[in-house]
Amino acid sequence: MNRYIGWIVTALVALSFVAAGCGDDEEEPADGGGAAQENGGGQDGPVKFTTGEEFKSVFIPKQTGIAVFDQANEGAQEAAGELQVDQAEFLGPSSPDACVNGQIDTVTNATTQGAKGIMISNCAGDQIEPAVKQAADSGAAVVSWDSPVPSGEGESLFVAQVDFDETGTVMADLALDILGEEGGEYAILSAAPDAANQNAWIKAHKEAIKDPKYENLKLVDTVYGNDDSEKSYDEALALVDKHPNLKLIMAPTTVGIAAAGKAMTDEGLCDKVKVSGLGLPEEMKEYTLSGCAPKFALWSFKDLGYLAFYAAYGIGTGQIEAAEGTQFEAGRLGEYTIEKDPTRDNGLRILMGPFTVYDKSNVEEG
Amino acid sequence: MRDKALRWRWELFLAVVLVTVVVVNVNISEFYFGEQNFINMFQLSIEKLIVVVIMTFVIINGEIDLSVASVMAFSACVLAALHQAGSVPFELAVAIALLAGAFAGLLQGAFVAFMGLPSLVVTLAGLIGFRGAGRILVEDNSIGDFPEWFETLGQEPLIGRFSFALIFFVVLILVAGIVLHRTAFGRSVFVIGNNANVARYSGVNVARDKLMIMTASGFFAGLAGVLFASRLGSVRGDLALGFELDIITMVLLGGVSIFGGSGTIVGVALSILIVLNIRNGLGLANIDQNTQTGVIGVLLILSVLVPNLAARIAGSWRAPKAGERAPPGDSADPRPRQTLTQEER
Repeated sequence: MNRYIGWIVTALVALSFVAAGCGDDEEEPADGGGAAQENGGGQDGPVKFTTGEEFKSVFIPKQTGIAVFDQANEGAQEAAGELQVDQAEFLGPSSPDACVNGQIDTVTNATTQGAKGIMISNCAGDQIEPAVKQAADSGAAVVSWDSPVPSGEGESLFVAQVDFDETGTVMADLALDILGEEGGEYAILSAAPDAANQNAWIKAHKEAIKDPKYENLKLVDTVYGNDDSEKSYDEALALVDKHPNLKLIMAPTTVGIAAAGKAMTDEGLCDKVKVSGLGLPEEMKEYTLSGCAPKFALWSFKDLGYLAFYAAYGIGTGQIEAAEGTQFEAGRLGEYTIEKDPTRDNGLRILMGPFTVYDKSNVEEG
Repeated sequence: MRDKALRWRWELFLAVVLVTVVVVNVNISEFYFGEQNFINMFQLSIEKLIVVVIMTFVIINGEIDLSVASVMAFSACVLAALHQAGSVPFELAVAIALLAGAFAGLLQGAFVAFMGLPSLVVTLAGLIGFRGAGRILVEDNSIGDFPEWFETLGQEPLIGRFSFALIFFVVLILVAGIVLHRTAFGRSVFVIGNNANVARYSGVNVARDKLMIMTASGFFAGLAGVLFASRLGSVRGDLALGFELDIITMVLLGGVSIFGGSGTIVGVALSILIVLNIRNGLGLANIDQNTQTGVIGVLLILSVLVPNLAARIAGSWRAPKAGERAPPGDSADPRPRQTLTQEER
């Protein structure tokens, strides 16, 4: 029996040396690293960041393997390149089930590693709080993007994609652009009836179309496809049957808009009923080029990641303070001002905005 | 003598794996070897570990409890709902939440012990049902703002750098080791797991023991859920979602037979250390979580394969010796190997 144990031991020891060998080239390149702070002190206009300071960071999505989060990460890597610092490690939960523990593990490991920046699209609600507090206590800048820490505790600031009110107006403008001055009937195809963000947008939209500018737009119905492709597809077709004069389906959800585009295309209804709303360029390309969904909008996740990295770098290297009124320059996106987050009781934010409107001219780059 | 050697062979293998993992970790991350990291390593999974200890009893007893993660959530949700309603003092709410866990275990245990239903089915129903009950209690909310002492209990060290849950776990696993390996009750757990009928005929109160173990499983799961709530500072309906598989993995990797009747606390303790160190080391080396899960999956497969293969190899090497007395050609007969395989199990 001892012979096998001997083998196993030998094999494992050999294996451990192989692994050890692999690990050896992990040395960080020595960094010049003196904290240059010429720009940090005064509040004379927006702070332009000194590049190349030591900044180790981690970029945490709600879940890995999702297109929009990969795009956000691309943006963060672009920012790292411009700021001449190490790229952020892109780590996070591998499944929605693993969300809470996955994010807590990643944040805690980053703290252990002495990360200066933790950029997170929080999926753990307030449960992430003890972990981010610990990170903040050890001197890391915790910048949430896409989805904030609800209590704002432990978080330096939240990079908000767009203002919810603005979403309502953007939807109204899209409808007006597509239907023209004469207007007409249109309907909303939403996600689930209890989806908080969609409901907020629809409410803001209904508020927005009270403006006389939009007086010819007639919102005739709101239906729910539950962010399920099949259900959204059926609901879109049902809308056309129910409202013979329908000219536009407005879907403020990426699942709904793509399903509506497919439904109208499959049934040859594109000349009669157009599709618009919030959509992902890569999913909408076909329908935009065919004229079925001439225009739609979305914020750029790439820009969101880019901006989050700039903010985390500034705060993590001590060049700016996470405080109301602080202004800084975020590379190609321009200047931003840190403000109180009106959507939460406690917490700071920067508002990225505006929406990117996609049409034939830019849908293929998106 | 041979039996004894066999019994500890798996633990020896695990110890070797553990040493290997530690050696690799030291080499892949400069942040690995530190007191705070070791504490974090336990602290981040401490609720799972508490349930692992009791799951060891359940599986050796020849049963399984798939409902543990849902019972964790159920207890935590009971606590959160009571706290939100504000009708009872928080201390009482904690007690009720713990009782709710024990009740969940008792209910399932009754079906298993007295009606003879398979625990796989009963606790699968429990997995769905108690998760559902928890979600009904808290709906889509995240309930927090617990009293200061409760959050301190989960988040701050109690003695030195050790949290309450960590100290509790260490005591629990020591006591579990003594109960399982040194008491009459522990022996009956093994006997029932090996063959419930034999146990019954030899005067073991099978139903009572099964009921006790399932109830304890519910109670400790509930306790783990409450501790999880105190560590996170808030409760949602998806608390501990999917933990049952991690928990059962740690028990099986520890050499506990899924068919019941064998296993040791030492093996389970080593398995816990291995899984924690793999996750921690890979995490600190910035290796993504899919890979971490994959590595642990491979280990689990190995944990089933290696003993079987070793037994087969041992069987085929020993065959010529047996063949000396057997008629020629008989050494090709697979039977001796099969017998040996079973014996090794």
